[in-house]
Amino acid sequence: MPFRFIHTSDLHLGRRFANIPEPADNGVRGRLMDARHTVIRRLAQAARTHGARHVLLAGDTFDSATPSPQVLRQMLAEMREQADVHWWLLPGNHDNLRSAEPVWEAIRRDAPSNVRPILDTSVLQPAPGVHVLPCPVPVRAAGRDLTASMPATATPAGALRIGLAHGGVLDFTDSGEHIPPDRDRSAGLDYLALGDWHGRLAVTPRTHYPGTPEPDRFKHPGRGRCLAVSIDGPGAEPDVREIETATFAWIRQELPLHQGESAADALEALLPTADRRNTLLRIIATGWASPAAHAALGATCDRHRPEFAYFDLQSERLGTLHSVSDLDQIARSGAIRLAAEALMHEADDDQQPEDTRDIASAALNRLYAYAREAAE
Amino acid sequence: MKLRAIELKNVRRFVEPVRINGIEDGVNLLGAPNESGKSTVFDALNALFLIPHRSTANAVKQLKPHAGGAPEVTVELDTPDGRFVVSKRWLARREARVARAGTLIAQADEAEAWIARLLGDNGAGPAGLLWVRQGSARLDGGTTSEQQAALEARRDLLALVAGEVQAMTGGQRMDQLLARCREELAAYVTPTRRPRSGGPWADAQAVVAHLDQEQQRLADSVAALQQALSERRRLRQERDELQAPEAEAERASRLKQARTQLEAAQKHAAEVRAAEQRLQTETLAAASAHETLAALRRALAEQRTAKARADAARQALDAAQTGLRDSEHHFAVAVEAYQQADAARQTAEEQRRRIQAQQAALAGAARCKELGERLDQARAARQAVEEASAAASLGPTDRDMERLQTLATALRTARALRDSTATRIELHYAAGQQGRVMQDGVALEQDSAHLIHASTRLRLGDLGELWVHPGAGAGELADVEQARTRLSQALDALGLDSLDAAKRAHQAAQLAEHRRREASARLDALAPGGIAALEQEREQSLAAMPAGSNDDAAERPFMSMDEAEAAFRTAQTAADAATARREAARERRDQARTAQTQAQVRLEGAEERVANAAVALQPFTDTDEAALVRGAAEADCRRQTAEAHCAHCKAQAPDLDMAQAALTRAQSIQDSARNRASEIAQALATLDERIAANAGESVEERLQETQEQLQLARRRLHGIEREVAVLQRLETALEQARRNAREQYFEPVARELRPLMHLLWPDAVLNWTDASLLPRSLERNRQEESFDILSGGTQEQIALLVRLAFARLSANGGRHAPVILDDALVFTDDDRIERMFDALHRHANDLQIIVLSCRQRAFRNLGGKVLQIEAAG
Repeated sequence: MPFRFIHTSDLHLGRRFANIPEPADNGVRGRLMDARHTVIRRLAQAARTHGARHVLLAGDTFDSATPSPQVLRQMLAEMREQADVHWWLLPGNHDNLRSAEPVWEAIRRDAPSNVRPILDTSVLQPAPGVHVLPCPVPVRAAGRDLTASMPATATPAGALRIGLAHGGVLDFTDSGEHIPPDRDRSAGLDYLALGDWHGRLAVTPRTHYPGTPEPDRFKHPGRGRCLAVSIDGPGAEPDVREIETATFAWIRQELPLHQGESAADALEALLPTADRRNTLLRIIATGWASPAAHAALGATCDRHRPEFAYFDLQSERLGTLHSVSDLDQIARSGAIRLAAEALMHEADDDQQPEDTRDIASAALNRLYAYAREAAE
Repeated sequence: MKLRAIELKNVRRFVEPVRINGIEDGVNLLGAPNESGKSTVFDALNALFLIPHRSTANAVKQLKPHAGGAPEVTVELDTPDGRFVVSKRWLARREARVARAGTLIAQADEAEAWIARLLGDNGAGPAGLLWVRQGSARLDGGTTSEQQAALEARRDLLALVAGEVQAMTGGQRMDQLLARCREELAAYVTPTRRPRSGGPWADAQAVVAHLDQEQQRLADSVAALQQALSERRRLRQERDELQAPEAEAERASRLKQARTQLEAAQKHAAEVRAAEQRLQTETLAAASAHETLAALRRALAEQRTAKARADAARQALDAAQTGLRDSEHHFAVAVEAYQQADAARQTAEEQRRRIQAQQAALAGAARCKELGERLDQARAARQAVEEASAAASLGPTDRDMERLQTLATALRTARALRDSTATRIELHYAAGQQGRVMQDGVALEQDSAHLIHASTRLRLGDLGELWVHPGAGAGELADVEQARTRLSQALDALGLDSLDAAKRAHQAAQLAEHRRREASARLDALAPGGIAALEQEREQSLAAMPAGSNDDAAERPFMSMDEAEAAFRTAQTAADAATARREAARERRDQARTAQTQAQVRLEGAEERVANAAVALQPFTDTDEAALVRGAAEADCRRQTAEAHCAHCKAQAPDLDMAQAALTRAQSIQDSARNRASEIAQALATLDERIAANAGESVEERLQETQEQLQLARRRLHGIEREVAVLQRLETALEQARRNAREQYFEPVARELRPLMHLLWPDAVLNWTDASLLPRSLERNRQEESFDILSGGTQEQIALLVRLAFARLSANGGRHAPVILDDALVFTDDDRIERMFDALHRHANDLQIIVLSCRQRAFRNLGGKVLQIEAAG
């Protein structure tokens, strides 16, 4: 009889997304917060779909060490509702044992029976013959590999050994804080469930990061998901499947532009066509564009922006190519022409500091916009 | 660029193609009546060079003929690169073409770009074509609409100038762009470029500052929470350690052991105290035995000493009593001698006193006599003063006299006035008739003059009466009477009858006053303090005299004062010597008495000491000294035994203080543990409450939220600062360009204009506004006139000259710009138009000027090439 469970991490409940600008009638922050809460239900549903009764949460259930009572209580209430699922909560660096002591005390005191906070390294037995070796994070920066004790932790022979930890594997520094990528082998683990990395990452066939089930930043590509793990028995390679759980998609797209290219068309081609309301989009425009292309790009973004939960155009890396024809559209002669030429010269002058050139270029773009505005 | 030919097709009235050929350098004139198509040529050229062929603007539509058709305009022109044919067609089958020598070199947009370059799109200055258009020549005639159009055209004059200036400086468009830029900038900054209060920049700064502060506050709260958690952890660990069973058992065991040790120590301490008590008892007993022996020995010695001293005291008392008897005898002798000397001294003193009294009585009598005489003289002087004062008060005063003199003078004056105007008669009797004339019964004398002051009757003897009535003078008479009355009243008031009497009385009063002063001075000399004081002084002198004595009765002394003094001094010296001897005898007697008393006291003391010694020996009546010596030795032995026992006990005793300290310490540890546990419980409760409160406020979430908001706000602030920098850079660029344009073009244009202006107005100066660079005013004959109030003729002349100046500037730069003048001199009078022609020709050498005019007669003398509109062949 295989042991099935859901491996997830980094729910970061309570995250407020104050870094996302919120127009008056948007309410995107509230929606993002709510999505983090409702992912609990979707995780439970994934467990049911997968035939699992256990959800291993590999750290950072909470975004901070002091989540509000609403966040905590509503999480417990939601987990209580999902009574057929057992929730194993491992403290991570955000909600480590020391900083989040009151929270874990409250959970230990008030949690329903299907919720189990893991407050020490004692081996757990979620099911007969299944042993989980947990490594709760004691402090925010422990300065050591918390899984170091796993090889020496004994479990009965013939039982499944599942490691549960929170920390980085990819941060290959000399700090000694990272988890060795071969910890599964060195500790004889059938599966090492890790948290902390918000993107999906399979370190080895037995070592996995599921990524956050509801993304909260543009850093990691792909939609949020959890892992449905099935292990037939000790030594068997686990069957790991991804199940999408996220409400929102965080998409970061580069928009490289070239001289003469239609910026508006290029942007249109990039934009997702479905579920824009639940999409947070960041466009990084690069390359070069004429003042007209700049204006067209801005206008296209303005037209599409309201359709998305969040739409961010970053054009700092998009240079402006000025040509004589651009200047002609500003003025063919006279003082205005001279002003435009002076700005263009400054924007193109390699001897000038980059900031000065950037300001001059933007001023020329603005002059172009004024001129076009006046012409219309 | 220079135009050589123009061809129009489907342009307003020119449906069929027409052509103007032979346009030359210098002045060209196309003279034709109104409605002959000159302005159409002007508009067609304007469209060809300035309106894109794809345009459907009204300016293009207005070119379309009524019959319809696509307007076409073609020109031949020369450039430094050769001759080109440029053509455009609008509205239908739109087209723009540039050809050279029959070869198409550009079309459509490229042709437009070619035209733009031709017109000077290199940003170096005004456009390549320069236009002056009046629009209508019929300002003072024609229809209302035509007059209105003419008025509009006049207003356009300034706009035409403005057009060139705009081309040069950006003009209104520059103003619009600057205004747009500043409008946006003003939302962010104040005129001094500080963040505008309430504006986005200031708001963003305020938000950042607020969030910064809030972040710090929340970071502090988080730190406090972390500290509280850490403290709670530490306290819990401490509490657990304190309350661990093994720790509690160890504290109890330590306490019990300390108590046992203390009890043992306390028991041994009691034994030491008993030994010490016994030692003390034995020590006291030994000391008592030794003291008894010593007391016996001291009493015997004292008895011997007391007896010896009593014998010596008795002998001393006998000697003192003998000395006392001798001194008392000597003292009695000295007292008697003293009494005799003192009686002699008293007698001499009495004699001296009596002589002194007699001398004082004599001096007092003399003083009383002298004071009596002065008093009599003073009283006489006082009487003289009183009498002189009475006499002085009888006569008139100086003021009275002054007033009388004034009144007398007034009377004399009145009389003189009266007499000077009075009627004067003089009598000269005939012989024998003297005394015949009578006045009031008195005969008037011969050869005498008489003054008649009032109507007077003169009896003329037998002749009857003569009445003389003075014609005037009644006033003077009244004055005399009034003066006389006043003088009489003044005299009456003083009780005098005449002025002479008054003078005499006044003199007598002055003499009396003189006497009064003399008597008063005498009185002051005799009695400076007054007569009463003098009387009091005399009374005092009389009182000081011995009773019953007076000058006459004073007793003469029986010896002189010196003799009395010498006798007294001798007696006094003898008495003093007797006194000294008596006092010496008294002292010796007193010393003898004291010695006798002291000897008596010493004897009594010695006898008492003997008695005391006997009393002290009474307790030892039945004891001998040897027995006491033995008892003391036995007591010493017992004390030494007790001392050895006590030392032994002490040497064996445990340290009670240490035992007590150990117990105190053990108890303290136990108490401290309990107290500490209690304190920890209390502190933990406080910390729990604080942690719960902070955790309940989700400070970390809020901190992260605030940090993210701050990051966002900083990004926004950065964006705004960049936006402000961009706007300021644009504003600076536009302002700088306008300044540069002014420096680069405007001043040269003004220089070119100056000689042209002087052709019309030798002393004229055209002033320009700094902001728009449009003509502001014209100075002529030292008077400044606003450009707006200049006549239409002057305005159009200035407009034309400005264009010529631009054209010259352009030509000087190697770029020829044809100047096209469409009815440009409508309001100019004949005299001025000649000078304008001169100006045109003066600059026609290196310019191409095309004049379109309906004023054929006025322009007949313009000169230059005359052009014709002809059907295109």
